[in-house]
Amino acid sequence: MKEIIHNVYIIEREGKEILVTKSKYGSHYGERKIGEFREWIPSRSKLAAMILKGHVIDIKPDWKVLYLGAASGTTVSHLADIVDEGIIYAVEYSAKPFVKFLQLAEERRNIIPLLEDASTPWKYNGIVEKVDFVYQDIAQKNQIEIFFANIDMFLKDGGEGVIMVKARSIDSTAEPEVVFDRVVKELGEKLEVVAHGSLEPFHKDHIYVHVRKTK
Amino acid sequence: MKWNVWFGEVVEEDGKLIAKKSSDLVESFKNASNPEALPFNLPEVGLQVFESLEDYYRTLRKIAIKVTSEKVEKELKREDRYVILLLKALDKLNESINMLEEKLRDIEEVKISETTEDFRERIEELKRLRRRIEKEIEDVITKIAPNLTEIAGAVIAARLLEKAGSLERLAFLPASKIQILGAEKSLYKALARMRRGKPAKTPKHGIIFIHPFIRTLPKRKRGRMARFMAAKLAIAAKLDYFKGELDESLAESVRKKYEELRREKDKPKKEESKQERREEKQKKKKKKPKHR
Ligand SMILES: C[S@@+](CC[C@H](N)C(=O)[O-])C[C@H]1O[C@@H](n2cnc3c(N)ncnc32)[C@H](O)[C@@H]1O
Repeated sequence: MKEIIHNVYIIEREGKEILVTKSKYGSHYGERKIGEFREWIPSRSKLAAMILKGHVIDIKPDWKVLYLGAASGTTVSHLADIVDEGIIYAVEYSAKPFVKFLQLAEERRNIIPLLEDASTPWKYNGIVEKVDFVYQDIAQKNQIEIFFANIDMFLKDGGEGVIMVKARSIDSTAEPEVVFDRVVKELGEKLEVVAHGSLEPFHKDHIYVHVRKTK
Repeated sequence: MKWNVWFGEVVEEDGKLIAKKSSDLVESFKNASNPEALPFNLPEVGLQVFESLEDYYRTLRKIAIKVTSEKVEKELKREDRYVILLLKALDKLNESINMLEEKLRDIEEVKISETTEDFRERIEELKRLRRRIEKEIEDVITKIAPNLTEIAGAVIAARLLEKAGSLERLAFLPASKIQILGAEKSLYKALARMRRGKPAKTPKHGIIFIHPFIRTLPKRKRGRMARFMAAKLAIAAKLDYFKGELDESLAESVRKKYEELRREKDKPKKEESKQERREEKQKKKKKKPKHR
Protein backbone atom coordinates (compact mmCIF):
# COMPACT_ATOMS: atom_id res chain seq x y z
CA MET A 1 0.00 0.00 0.00
CA LYS A 2 1.46 3.35 -0.93
CA GLU A 3 0.24 6.91 -0.72
CA ILE A 4 0.77 8.73 -4.02
CA ILE A 5 -1.13 11.94 -3.27
CA HIS A 6 -2.59 13.12 0.03
CA ASN A 7 -5.32 10.55 0.81
CA VAL A 8 -4.82 8.74 -2.51
CA TYR A 9 -3.45 5.21 -2.29
CA ILE A 10 -2.77 2.23 -4.47
CA ILE A 11 -3.75 -0.89 -2.58
CA GLU A 12 -3.67 -4.59 -3.33
CA ARG A 13 -6.97 -6.32 -3.58
CA GLU A 14 -7.49 -9.87 -4.76
CA GLY A 15 -4.11 -9.80 -6.43
CA LYS A 16 -4.87 -6.60 -8.31
CA GLU A 17 -3.70 -3.07 -7.68
CA ILE A 18 -6.50 -0.58 -7.34
CA LEU A 19 -6.69 3.15 -6.84
CA VAL A 20 -8.57 4.41 -3.77
CA THR A 21 -9.08 7.54 -1.73
CA LYS A 22 -9.17 7.56 2.04
CA SER A 23 -12.60 8.76 3.00
CA LYS A 24 -14.79 9.30 6.02
CA TYR A 25 -17.83 9.03 3.79
CA GLY A 26 -19.87 6.30 2.16
CA SER A 27 -20.14 5.23 -1.46
CA HIS A 28 -21.41 7.93 -3.85
CA TYR A 29 -21.74 6.33 -7.28
CA GLY A 30 -21.75 2.62 -6.57
CA GLU A 31 -18.01 2.34 -5.97
CA ARG A 32 -16.82 -0.23 -3.43
CA LYS A 33 -15.95 0.71 0.12
CA ILE A 34 -12.91 -1.14 1.35
CA GLY A 35 -12.42 -0.33 5.01
CA GLU A 36 -11.69 3.37 5.22
CA PHE A 37 -11.11 3.59 1.45
CA ARG A 38 -13.35 4.27 -1.53
CA GLU A 39 -12.40 2.69 -4.82
CA TRP A 40 -11.65 5.31 -7.46
CA ILE A 41 -12.76 3.80 -10.74
CA PRO A 42 -10.74 4.95 -13.78
CA SER A 43 -13.43 4.14 -16.32
CA ARG A 44 -15.79 6.43 -14.41
CA SER A 45 -13.38 9.24 -13.57
CA LYS A 46 -10.89 10.73 -16.03
CA LEU A 47 -8.77 12.09 -13.20
CA ALA A 48 -8.35 8.56 -11.85
CA ALA A 49 -7.49 7.39 -15.36
CA MET A 50 -4.83 10.09 -15.67
CA ILE A 51 -3.23 9.05 -12.39
CA LEU A 52 -3.26 5.39 -13.35
CA LYS A 53 -1.65 6.29 -16.64
CA GLY A 54 1.23 7.49 -14.52
CA HIS A 55 0.72 11.23 -14.46
CA VAL A 56 0.48 12.29 -10.84
CA ILE A 57 -0.24 15.88 -9.79
CA ASP A 58 0.62 16.60 -6.20
CA ILE A 59 -2.71 18.06 -5.14
CA LYS A 60 -2.30 19.59 -1.67
CA PRO A 61 -4.89 19.11 1.08
CA ASP A 62 -5.51 22.86 1.39
CA TRP A 63 -5.90 23.63 -2.31
CA LYS A 64 -8.75 25.76 -3.57
CA VAL A 65 -10.18 24.13 -6.68
CA LEU A 66 -12.46 25.31 -9.47
CA TYR A 67 -14.11 22.28 -11.06
CA LEU A 68 -15.97 22.77 -14.36
CA GLY A 69 -18.43 20.12 -15.50
CA ALA A 70 -19.15 18.56 -12.10
CA ALA A 71 -22.10 16.43 -13.29
CA SER A 72 -23.30 14.15 -10.49
CA GLY A 73 -20.01 14.36 -8.63
CA THR A 74 -18.18 11.12 -9.41
CA THR A 75 -14.78 12.77 -9.63
CA VAL A 76 -15.59 15.61 -7.24
CA SER A 77 -16.34 13.09 -4.49
CA HIS A 78 -12.75 11.83 -4.65
CA LEU A 79 -11.24 15.26 -5.10
CA ALA A 80 -13.12 16.30 -1.97
CA ASP A 81 -11.41 13.45 -0.09
CA ILE A 82 -8.05 14.82 -1.26
CA VAL A 83 -8.50 18.53 -0.53
CA ASP A 84 -9.94 17.85 2.91
CA GLU A 85 -8.76 21.23 4.21
CA GLY A 86 -9.52 23.06 0.97
CA ILE A 87 -12.57 24.06 -1.03
CA ILE A 88 -14.03 22.92 -4.34
CA TYR A 89 -16.15 25.34 -6.33
CA ALA A 90 -18.10 23.00 -8.59
CA VAL A 91 -19.78 24.37 -11.72
CA GLU A 92 -22.33 22.42 -13.74
CA TYR A 93 -25.02 23.80 -16.03
CA SER A 94 -27.35 20.85 -16.27
CA ALA A 95 -29.93 20.52 -13.51
CA LYS A 96 -30.59 16.79 -13.74
CA PRO A 97 -27.20 15.37 -12.71
CA PHE A 98 -26.89 18.16 -10.16
CA VAL A 99 -29.73 16.71 -8.10
CA LYS A 100 -27.42 13.91 -7.06
CA PHE A 101 -24.52 16.30 -6.77
CA LEU A 102 -26.42 18.32 -4.19
CA GLN A 103 -26.58 15.27 -1.93
CA LEU A 104 -22.80 15.15 -2.05
CA ALA A 105 -22.55 18.87 -1.33
CA GLU A 106 -24.85 18.47 1.66
CA GLU A 107 -22.72 15.65 3.02
CA ARG A 108 -19.29 17.23 2.58
CA ARG A 109 -18.12 20.48 4.12
CA ASN A 110 -15.77 21.51 1.35
CA ILE A 111 -17.96 21.71 -1.75
CA ILE A 112 -19.67 24.83 -3.08
CA PRO A 113 -22.20 23.85 -5.79
CA LEU A 114 -22.89 26.34 -8.58
CA LEU A 115 -25.52 25.74 -11.25
CA GLU A 116 -23.93 27.95 -13.88
CA ASP A 117 -22.65 27.87 -17.43
CA ALA A 118 -18.86 27.65 -17.48
CA SER A 119 -18.81 29.78 -20.63
CA THR A 120 -20.04 32.78 -18.62
CA PRO A 121 -17.53 32.88 -15.74
CA TRP A 122 -18.31 36.51 -14.91
CA LYS A 123 -21.62 35.30 -13.51
CA TYR A 124 -19.86 33.56 -10.63
CA ASN A 125 -17.02 36.04 -10.43
CA GLY A 126 -18.27 37.42 -7.10
CA ILE A 127 -18.46 33.93 -5.55
CA VAL A 128 -15.40 31.95 -6.62
CA GLU A 129 -12.10 33.05 -5.08
CA LYS A 130 -8.60 32.79 -6.59
CA VAL A 131 -7.81 29.09 -6.87
CA ASP A 132 -4.75 26.83 -7.02
CA PHE A 133 -6.24 24.37 -9.47
CA VAL A 134 -8.73 24.55 -12.36
CA TYR A 135 -10.08 21.21 -13.56
CA GLN A 136 -12.32 21.02 -16.60
CA ASP A 137 -14.22 18.10 -18.05
CA ILE A 138 -16.95 19.38 -20.33
CA ALA A 139 -17.42 17.79 -23.72
CA GLN A 140 -17.98 21.02 -25.60
CA LYS A 141 -16.86 22.36 -28.89
CA ASN A 142 -15.54 25.63 -27.44
CA GLN A 143 -14.00 24.01 -24.36
CA ILE A 144 -10.57 25.57 -24.86
CA GLU A 145 -12.02 29.05 -24.95
CA ILE A 146 -14.02 28.27 -21.80
CA PHE A 147 -10.90 26.93 -20.07
CA PHE A 148 -8.93 30.09 -20.89
CA ALA A 149 -11.72 32.37 -19.71
CA ASN A 150 -11.91 30.63 -16.32
CA ILE A 151 -8.15 30.47 -15.91
CA ASP A 152 -7.88 34.18 -16.68
CA MET A 153 -10.43 35.03 -14.06
CA PHE A 154 -9.68 32.61 -11.24
CA LEU A 155 -6.34 30.78 -11.44
CA LYS A 156 -3.49 32.13 -9.27
CA ASP A 157 -0.18 32.79 -11.00
CA GLY A 158 1.77 29.57 -10.89
CA GLY A 159 -1.46 27.60 -10.43
CA GLU A 160 -2.22 24.30 -12.15
CA GLY A 161 -4.87 23.33 -14.65
CA VAL A 162 -6.09 20.08 -16.14
CA ILE A 163 -8.41 19.80 -19.10
CA MET A 164 -9.88 16.55 -20.35
CA VAL A 165 -10.43 16.67 -24.09
CA LYS A 166 -12.59 14.41 -26.15
CA ALA A 167 -11.58 14.56 -29.79
CA ARG A 168 -15.03 14.13 -31.22
CA SER A 169 -16.64 16.92 -29.27
CA ILE A 170 -14.19 19.41 -30.80
CA ASP A 171 -14.25 18.06 -34.34
CA SER A 172 -16.30 15.02 -35.20
CA THR A 173 -14.73 14.43 -38.59
CA ALA A 174 -10.98 14.97 -38.09
CA GLU A 175 -8.63 12.26 -36.86
CA PRO A 176 -8.29 12.37 -33.05
CA GLU A 177 -4.51 12.75 -33.31
CA VAL A 178 -4.90 15.86 -35.44
CA VAL A 179 -7.41 17.37 -33.04
CA PHE A 180 -5.16 16.65 -30.04
CA ASP A 181 -2.12 18.25 -31.69
CA ARG A 182 -4.16 21.33 -32.42
CA VAL A 183 -5.50 21.51 -28.86
CA VAL A 184 -2.09 21.12 -27.21
CA LYS A 185 -0.65 23.78 -29.47
CA GLU A 186 -3.48 26.17 -28.75
CA LEU A 187 -3.12 25.68 -24.98
CA GLY A 188 0.64 26.14 -25.28
CA GLU A 189 0.18 29.59 -26.75
CA LYS A 190 -1.13 30.97 -23.47
CA LEU A 191 -0.05 28.49 -20.83
CA GLU A 192 2.86 26.24 -20.01
CA VAL A 193 1.97 22.69 -21.04
CA VAL A 194 3.42 20.48 -18.31
CA ALA A 195 2.28 17.16 -19.73
CA HIS A 196 -0.32 15.55 -21.89
CA GLY A 197 -1.26 12.02 -22.77
CA SER A 198 -3.95 9.60 -23.75
CA LEU A 199 -6.56 8.17 -21.37
CA GLU A 200 -6.86 4.89 -23.28
CA PRO A 201 -8.00 2.25 -22.55
CA PHE A 202 -10.18 3.83 -19.86
CA HIS A 203 -11.65 6.56 -22.08
CA LYS A 204 -11.51 6.19 -25.82
CA ASP A 205 -10.20 9.12 -27.89
CA HIS A 206 -9.63 11.29 -24.86
CA ILE A 207 -6.53 13.05 -23.65
CA TYR A 208 -5.59 15.00 -20.56
CA VAL A 209 -3.56 18.17 -20.76
CA HIS A 210 -1.86 19.48 -17.64
CA VAL A 211 -0.98 23.18 -17.79
CA ARG A 212 0.49 25.80 -15.53
CA LYS A 213 -0.16 29.54 -15.48
CA THR A 214 3.34 30.93 -15.82
CA LYS A 215 2.98 33.12 -18.86
CA MET B 1 -14.96 51.16 -7.85
CA LYS B 2 -17.61 48.78 -6.63
CA TRP B 3 -17.90 45.01 -6.93
CA ASN B 4 -20.89 42.74 -6.39
CA VAL B 5 -19.87 39.84 -4.24
CA TRP B 6 -21.90 37.01 -2.76
CA PHE B 7 -21.97 38.48 0.72
CA GLY B 8 -22.81 42.02 -0.44
CA GLU B 9 -20.49 44.65 -1.84
CA VAL B 10 -16.86 45.59 -1.85
CA VAL B 11 -16.12 49.25 -2.48
CA GLU B 12 -12.89 51.09 -2.89
CA GLU B 13 -12.67 54.21 -0.77
CA ASP B 14 -9.47 56.27 -0.52
CA GLY B 15 -7.48 53.36 -1.95
CA LYS B 16 -8.88 51.00 0.67
CA LEU B 17 -11.17 48.05 0.11
CA ILE B 18 -14.23 48.00 2.30
CA ALA B 19 -16.59 45.04 2.57
CA LYS B 20 -20.28 45.66 3.18
CA LYS B 21 -22.49 42.79 4.20
CA SER B 22 -25.88 42.47 2.58
CA SER B 23 -28.97 41.99 4.71
CA ASP B 24 -30.25 39.46 2.16
CA LEU B 25 -27.47 37.01 1.36
CA VAL B 26 -29.59 34.97 -1.03
CA GLU B 27 -30.20 38.06 -3.12
CA SER B 28 -26.58 39.21 -3.09
CA PHE B 29 -25.42 35.68 -3.94
CA LYS B 30 -27.63 35.69 -7.02
CA ASN B 31 -26.23 39.04 -8.15
CA ALA B 32 -22.57 38.30 -7.53
CA SER B 33 -21.42 39.00 -11.04
CA ASN B 34 -18.46 41.10 -12.23
CA PRO B 35 -17.14 41.49 -15.77
CA GLU B 36 -13.44 41.59 -14.89
CA ALA B 37 -11.25 39.46 -12.64
CA LEU B 38 -11.42 40.79 -9.07
CA PRO B 39 -8.29 42.71 -7.98
CA PHE B 40 -8.54 41.16 -4.49
CA ASN B 41 -9.10 37.74 -2.97
CA LEU B 42 -12.66 37.26 -1.75
CA PRO B 43 -12.24 35.46 1.61
CA GLU B 44 -9.54 37.93 2.70
CA VAL B 45 -11.82 40.90 2.19
CA GLY B 46 -14.74 38.87 3.49
CA LEU B 47 -13.00 38.59 6.85
CA GLN B 48 -13.98 42.20 7.48
CA VAL B 49 -17.59 41.09 7.86
CA PHE B 50 -17.24 37.45 8.94
CA GLU B 51 -15.89 36.27 12.28
CA SER B 52 -13.48 33.78 10.76
CA LEU B 53 -12.68 31.92 7.58
CA GLU B 54 -14.66 29.04 8.98
CA ASP B 55 -17.65 31.31 9.36
CA TYR B 56 -17.10 32.65 5.84
CA TYR B 57 -17.08 29.23 4.19
CA ARG B 58 -19.86 27.82 6.34
CA THR B 59 -22.14 30.70 5.31
CA LEU B 60 -21.11 30.56 1.64
CA ARG B 61 -21.78 26.85 1.49
CA LYS B 62 -25.17 27.17 3.14
CA ILE B 63 -26.31 29.90 0.74
CA ALA B 64 -24.88 28.13 -2.33
CA ILE B 65 -26.74 24.92 -1.51
CA LYS B 66 -29.96 26.81 -0.87
CA VAL B 67 -29.85 28.88 -4.07
CA THR B 68 -28.66 25.96 -6.22
CA SER B 69 -31.35 23.59 -4.95
CA GLU B 70 -34.03 26.12 -5.78
CA LYS B 71 -32.58 26.73 -9.23
CA VAL B 72 -32.31 23.00 -9.94
CA GLU B 73 -35.91 22.43 -9.01
CA LYS B 74 -37.12 25.26 -11.19
CA GLU B 75 -35.07 24.19 -14.18
CA LEU B 76 -36.17 20.60 -14.01
CA LYS B 77 -39.74 21.67 -14.37
CA ARG B 78 -39.50 23.80 -17.42
CA GLU B 79 -36.63 23.03 -19.73
CA ASP B 80 -38.29 20.38 -21.87
CA ARG B 81 -41.38 22.54 -22.25
CA TYR B 82 -39.16 25.37 -23.33
CA VAL B 83 -37.59 23.33 -26.13
CA ILE B 84 -40.96 22.09 -27.33
CA LEU B 85 -42.46 25.55 -27.42
CA LEU B 86 -39.42 26.96 -29.21
CA LEU B 87 -39.67 24.20 -31.77
CA LYS B 88 -43.34 24.88 -32.41
CA ALA B 89 -42.56 28.59 -32.76
CA LEU B 90 -39.74 27.72 -35.15
CA ASP B 91 -42.13 25.81 -37.40
CA LYS B 92 -44.49 28.76 -37.53
CA LEU B 93 -41.61 31.11 -38.20
CA ASN B 94 -40.51 28.95 -41.11
CA GLU B 95 -43.97 28.98 -42.60
CA SER B 96 -44.13 32.73 -42.22
CA ILE B 97 -40.74 33.32 -43.81
CA ASN B 98 -41.67 31.15 -46.79
CA MET B 99 -45.01 32.81 -47.19
CA LEU B 100 -43.58 36.32 -46.91
CA GLU B 101 -40.81 35.59 -49.38
CA GLU B 102 -43.37 34.36 -51.86
CA LYS B 103 -45.43 37.50 -51.49
CA LEU B 104 -42.37 39.68 -51.79
CA ARG B 105 -41.32 37.92 -54.99
CA ASP B 106 -44.78 38.56 -56.43
CA ILE B 107 -44.52 42.26 -55.65
CA GLU B 108 -40.95 42.58 -56.91
CA GLU B 109 -41.99 41.14 -60.22
CA VAL B 110 -44.22 44.15 -60.63
CA LYS B 111 -42.05 46.84 -59.10
CA ILE B 112 -39.00 47.22 -56.90
CA SER B 113 -39.24 50.14 -54.50
CA GLU B 114 -38.05 51.38 -51.14
CA THR B 115 -40.97 49.54 -49.66
CA THR B 116 -39.91 46.23 -51.13
CA GLU B 117 -36.37 46.81 -49.89
CA ASP B 118 -37.69 47.46 -46.42
CA PHE B 119 -39.77 44.32 -46.74
CA ARG B 120 -36.70 42.27 -47.68
CA GLU B 121 -34.74 43.67 -44.73
CA ARG B 122 -37.51 42.58 -42.37
CA ILE B 123 -37.43 39.06 -43.78
CA GLU B 124 -33.68 38.95 -43.25
CA GLU B 125 -34.29 39.94 -39.65
CA LEU B 126 -36.69 37.03 -39.27
CA LYS B 127 -34.05 34.73 -40.69
CA ARG B 128 -31.58 35.95 -38.09
CA LEU B 129 -34.19 35.25 -35.43
CA ARG B 130 -34.62 31.78 -36.88
CA ARG B 131 -30.91 31.06 -36.53
CA ARG B 132 -30.98 32.23 -32.93
CA ILE B 133 -33.90 30.00 -32.09
CA GLU B 134 -32.22 27.03 -33.75
CA LYS B 135 -29.08 27.66 -31.75
CA GLU B 136 -31.04 27.96 -28.51
CA ILE B 137 -32.88 24.71 -29.18
CA GLU B 138 -29.57 22.99 -29.85
CA ASP B 139 -28.02 24.37 -26.64
CA VAL B 140 -30.91 23.38 -24.42
CA ILE B 141 -31.52 19.92 -25.88
CA THR B 142 -27.80 19.10 -25.54
CA LYS B 143 -28.07 20.04 -21.91
CA ILE B 144 -31.30 18.29 -20.93
CA ALA B 145 -30.96 15.24 -23.16
CA PRO B 146 -27.22 14.65 -23.69
CA ASN B 147 -27.63 10.97 -24.61
CA LEU B 148 -30.42 11.46 -27.13
CA THR B 149 -28.48 14.33 -28.67
CA GLU B 150 -25.24 12.37 -28.85
CA ILE B 151 -26.95 9.58 -30.76
CA ALA B 152 -29.48 11.40 -32.89
CA GLY B 153 -28.12 14.94 -33.16
CA ALA B 154 -29.86 18.04 -31.80
CA VAL B 155 -32.52 18.32 -34.49
CA ILE B 156 -33.86 14.79 -34.27
CA ALA B 157 -33.55 14.73 -30.48
CA ALA B 158 -35.62 17.89 -30.20
CA ARG B 159 -38.22 16.56 -32.64
CA LEU B 160 -38.53 13.30 -30.70
CA LEU B 161 -39.09 15.31 -27.56
CA GLU B 162 -41.73 17.42 -29.29
CA LYS B 163 -43.56 14.40 -30.69
CA ALA B 164 -43.54 12.64 -27.33
CA GLY B 165 -44.71 15.76 -25.52
CA SER B 166 -42.22 15.68 -22.66
CA LEU B 167 -38.97 14.06 -21.66
CA GLU B 168 -40.86 11.99 -19.14
CA ARG B 169 -43.20 10.54 -21.76
CA LEU B 170 -40.35 9.92 -24.16
CA ALA B 171 -38.53 8.02 -21.41
CA PHE B 172 -41.45 5.62 -21.07
CA LEU B 173 -42.02 4.98 -24.77
CA PRO B 174 -40.99 1.55 -26.06
CA ALA B 175 -38.38 1.44 -28.82
CA SER B 176 -40.96 0.33 -31.37
CA LYS B 177 -42.88 3.54 -30.76
CA ILE B 178 -39.78 5.74 -30.91
CA GLN B 179 -38.91 4.19 -34.24
CA ILE B 180 -42.10 5.51 -35.83
CA LEU B 181 -42.47 8.70 -33.82
CA GLY B 182 -43.28 11.46 -36.27
CA ALA B 183 -44.79 9.04 -38.75
CA GLU B 184 -48.12 8.78 -36.99
CA LYS B 185 -50.02 10.11 -39.97
CA SER B 186 -48.79 7.41 -42.32
CA LEU B 187 -49.27 4.80 -39.63
CA TYR B 188 -52.91 5.74 -39.14
CA LYS B 189 -53.45 5.77 -42.87
CA ALA B 190 -51.92 2.31 -43.18
CA LEU B 191 -53.99 0.94 -40.32
CA ALA B 192 -57.14 2.43 -41.79
CA ARG B 193 -56.40 0.77 -45.13
CA MET B 194 -55.84 -2.55 -43.41
CA ARG B 195 -59.07 -2.26 -41.54
CA ARG B 196 -60.80 -1.84 -44.85
CA GLY B 197 -59.10 -5.05 -45.90
CA LYS B 198 -56.74 -3.36 -48.32
CA PRO B 199 -53.02 -4.07 -48.52
CA ALA B 200 -50.82 -1.54 -46.78
CA LYS B 201 -47.29 -1.22 -45.47
CA THR B 202 -46.82 0.08 -41.97
CA PRO B 203 -44.14 2.76 -41.83
CA LYS B 204 -40.77 1.51 -40.64
CA HIS B 205 -39.34 4.79 -39.47
CA GLY B 206 -40.50 8.18 -38.38
CA ILE B 207 -38.43 11.22 -37.67
CA ILE B 208 -35.27 9.18 -37.07
CA PHE B 209 -35.36 8.28 -40.75
CA ILE B 210 -33.61 11.57 -41.56
CA HIS B 211 -30.57 10.50 -39.54
CA PRO B 212 -27.53 10.18 -41.82
CA PHE B 213 -26.78 6.72 -40.40
CA ILE B 214 -30.11 5.51 -41.76
CA ARG B 215 -30.43 7.67 -44.85
CA THR B 216 -27.02 6.77 -46.22
CA LEU B 217 -27.59 3.02 -46.02
CA PRO B 218 -29.06 1.07 -48.89
CA LYS B 219 -32.82 0.69 -48.54
CA ARG B 220 -32.66 -2.97 -47.52
CA LYS B 221 -30.54 -2.20 -44.48
CA ARG B 222 -32.40 0.81 -43.22
CA GLY B 223 -34.99 -1.12 -41.29
CA ARG B 224 -32.37 -2.90 -39.26
CA MET B 225 -30.48 0.31 -38.57
CA ALA B 226 -33.65 2.11 -37.54
CA ARG B 227 -34.60 -0.69 -35.20
CA PHE B 228 -31.19 -0.69 -33.57
CA MET B 229 -31.10 3.07 -33.25
CA ALA B 230 -34.59 3.20 -31.78
CA ALA B 231 -33.60 0.63 -29.18
CA LYS B 232 -30.60 2.74 -28.15
CA LEU B 233 -32.67 5.91 -28.20
CA ALA B 234 -35.13 4.29 -25.81
CA ILE B 235 -32.29 3.64 -23.39
CA ALA B 236 -30.90 7.13 -23.98
CA ALA B 237 -34.25 8.73 -23.16
CA LYS B 238 -34.40 6.85 -19.86
CA LEU B 239 -30.84 7.82 -18.98
CA ASP B 240 -31.55 11.45 -19.83
CA TYR B 241 -34.74 11.51 -17.84
CA PHE B 242 -33.49 9.73 -14.73
CA LYS B 243 -29.81 10.69 -14.62
CA GLY B 244 -29.09 13.37 -17.19
CA GLU B 245 -25.53 12.18 -17.67
CA LEU B 246 -23.82 11.25 -20.87
CA ASP B 247 -22.92 7.61 -21.39
CA GLU B 248 -20.58 7.64 -24.35
CA SER B 249 -20.77 3.92 -25.00
CA LEU B 250 -24.36 4.25 -26.24
CA ALA B 251 -23.64 6.49 -29.20
CA GLU B 252 -20.49 4.50 -29.82
CA SER B 253 -22.51 1.30 -30.23
CA VAL B 254 -24.79 3.02 -32.75
CA ARG B 255 -21.80 4.19 -34.72
CA LYS B 256 -20.37 0.67 -34.68
CA LYS B 257 -23.63 -0.85 -35.85
CA TYR B 258 -23.69 1.61 -38.71
CA GLU B 259 -20.13 0.78 -39.76
CA GLU B 260 -20.96 -2.89 -39.51
CA LEU B 261 -24.06 -2.60 -41.68
CA ARG B 262 -22.31 -0.40 -44.17
CA ARG B 263 -19.48 -2.85 -44.63
CA GLU B 264 -21.69 -5.90 -44.59
CA LYS B 265 -21.38 -7.72 -47.87
CA ASP B 266 -24.50 -7.63 -49.94
CA LYS B 267 -26.23 -10.96 -49.91
CA PRO B 268 -27.25 -12.17 -53.33
CA LYS B 269 -30.35 -10.20 -54.09
CA LYS B 270 -32.74 -13.02 -54.79
CA GLU B 271 -32.02 -14.83 -51.59
CA GLU B 272 -32.54 -11.77 -49.50
CA SER B 273 -35.77 -10.66 -51.08
CA LYS B 274 -37.12 -14.18 -50.76
CA GLN B 275 -36.24 -14.16 -47.12
CA GLU B 276 -37.77 -10.75 -46.61
CA ARG B 277 -40.95 -11.82 -48.31
CA ARG B 278 -41.10 -14.80 -46.06
CA GLU B 279 -40.72 -12.53 -43.05
CA GLU B 280 -43.44 -10.25 -44.30
CA LYS B 281 -45.80 -13.16 -44.78
CA GLN B 282 -45.20 -14.41 -41.30
CA LYS B 283 -45.85 -10.97 -39.91
CA LYS B 284 -49.12 -10.74 -41.74
CA LYS B 285 -50.20 -14.15 -40.59
CA LYS B 286 -49.62 -13.13 -37.03
CA LYS B 287 -51.52 -9.91 -37.46
CA LYS B 288 -54.55 -11.18 -39.26
CA PRO B 289 -56.46 -12.75 -36.38
CA LYS B 290 -56.29 -9.45 -34.54
CA HIS B 291 -58.14 -7.67 -37.29
CA ARG B 292 -60.94 -10.09 -37.55
C1 LIG C 1 -18.21 14.18 -19.08
S1 LIG C 1 -19.33 14.97 -17.97
C2 LIG C 1 -18.34 15.27 -16.54
C3 LIG C 1 -18.09 14.10 -15.63
C4 LIG C 1 -17.42 14.54 -14.34
N1 LIG C 1 -16.35 15.46 -14.60
C5 LIG C 1 -16.92 13.39 -13.52
O1 LIG C 1 -15.84 12.86 -13.88
O2 LIG C 1 -17.54 13.05 -12.55
C6 LIG C 1 -19.47 16.58 -18.67
C7 LIG C 1 -20.39 17.50 -17.91
O3 LIG C 1 -20.14 18.83 -18.32
C8 LIG C 1 -21.34 19.54 -18.32
N2 LIG C 1 -21.17 20.73 -19.16
C9 LIG C 1 -21.05 20.78 -20.51
N3 LIG C 1 -20.92 22.05 -20.91
C10 LIG C 1 -20.96 22.83 -19.81
C11 LIG C 1 -20.88 24.24 -19.60
N4 LIG C 1 -20.74 25.09 -20.60
N5 LIG C 1 -20.96 24.69 -18.32
C12 LIG C 1 -21.10 23.82 -17.30
N6 LIG C 1 -21.18 22.49 -17.45
C13 LIG C 1 -21.11 21.99 -18.69
C14 LIG C 1 -22.35 18.53 -18.83
O4 LIG C 1 -23.67 18.88 -18.45
C15 LIG C 1 -21.86 17.24 -18.17
O5 LIG C 1 -22.52 17.01 -16.96
